[in-house]
Amino acid sequence: PAEHSPSLAGISRVPAEHSPSLCILADSREMCSGPEVLSCLRAVHGLRVQVCSLGTSDYIVSNRLAVDRVLQSELQSPGNRNKLSQRLQRLQGVFERICVIVETDRVRPGETSRCFQRTQYYDGVLSALVQAGIRILFSSSQEESAALLKDLALLEHRKDAAIQVPTEPQGHQRDILNFYLSIPNLSYAAALNLCHSFSSITAVANSSVPALAAGARLSRPQAEELHRFLHHDFDLQLLPQPLPAKGK
Amino acid sequence: PVTAGSIVVPYGHVIGNEKWRGSEVAQRLQGKVRLIFEDGLGLVDFHLSNRTCILLISEADLVAGDEFKRRLVKFRNASSLRGIVIVEKTKISDQYYVGVQKFVVLELGMVLLPVANQGEASQLIVQLVSFCVVREQSRDRGANPFLGKRRAAAAEPALLRAAQRVPGVGKTKALLLLQHFGTIHRLCNASVQQLERVVGQTGAQQIYSF
Repeated sequence: PAEHSPSLAGISRVPAEHSPSLCILADSREMCSGPEVLSCLRAVHGLRVQVCSLGTSDYIVSNRLAVDRVLQSELQSPGNRNKLSQRLQRLQGVFERICVIVETDRVRPGETSRCFQRTQYYDGVLSALVQAGIRILFSSSQEESAALLKDLALLEHRKDAAIQVPTEPQGHQRDILNFYLSIPNLSYAAALNLCHSFSSITAVANSSVPALAAGARLSRPQAEELHRFLHHDFDLQLLPQPLPAKGK
Repeated sequence: PVTAGSIVVPYGHVIGNEKWRGSEVAQRLQGKVRLIFEDGLGLVDFHLSNRTCILLISEADLVAGDEFKRRLVKFRNASSLRGIVIVEKTKISDQYYVGVQKFVVLELGMVLLPVANQGEASQLIVQLVSFCVVREQSRDRGANPFLGKRRAAAAEPALLRAAQRVPGVGKTKALLLLQHFGTIHRLCNASVQQLERVVGQTGAQQIYSF
């Protein structure tokens, strides 16, 4: 009983031969922490949800927007401050736009509804997010979070930033995607775009900054960073010693 | 009428709309920030700085209908200030919140923060002043834990990791290749013969076809 919201009907005007519906990338951890978000996105809103190991953010909604789901209680406790700020700082290196969905904690069965005590610390965190230009949305449940993700995806689609490429590369393409994913500060969406827009890694390596920006749907500074990486001269002396253990 | 334009806020002060004089928010702000009341602020309730201001939407505004939407749109069209909308989200106005958020954040692109009452609003305003004004003007940007410090990490470890994603290439071969070719760009453009000199025939073919 996929009940498509009426607003999704307008999408067909875009000549997208691959994606009949909007696409969202979800981090694999969300299968445990937000199962209802994922099922709502699929069943209620009719979105294509691709679960993959994003590492950086919980969701990637478009070529430039990452969304993190944070529980209200996490914003309340100063103990989480470092973890949260490191995570968001990393996101800022990778994405043009970041949004945080602050979700009310679920009341477990048998637990009386805890009264939310607003602390000065909590207000400080919100203020810092506002100042950092991070968009904040509030949600009272996983279902509501799913609706917000859909709204964001729709908005990004209207601004022509939606993810329009196939999200499940096979075989050789898979290896190439893994290569792109190892490039620092390159998002999963940008790596997918590189796979799709360029015939080979060599083609990417030989591309100019504007061509990279167009092909990977990156902003100019991000494309410059990618270009620098591809042309960076390796210097053995700069490798931290001892060599970091690989793949653990 | 729509004085959403520039207003000079002295450092460390908050300028409040005359209509809030004597209200709970104002009383609680007093003592924590230097609050000055001014007539004719128009749409804005509080100015935190020359750039940032606050529009307060009460529970009653929400229940009353769409008037507050007209006010926000007018503000958005008339001013280049950064407007932070604080909305009273109570048991009664809770049902409207989803719609309001969609309108304010997604359609207007403004900041929206919910509070439960005027007391919470004043507490939030104090924090906003501290972050958006004091730290902004003292250029102490490092104080914000969420503003990325752009420091360039050495690319070498990342290059090594990237080279190891090529099938058949482990740490040893990756190091050899990078030492020999220097950049990913040159490695990509190397011929089979050039690769053979570094990693041998099978490896070279594998890398070349990748």
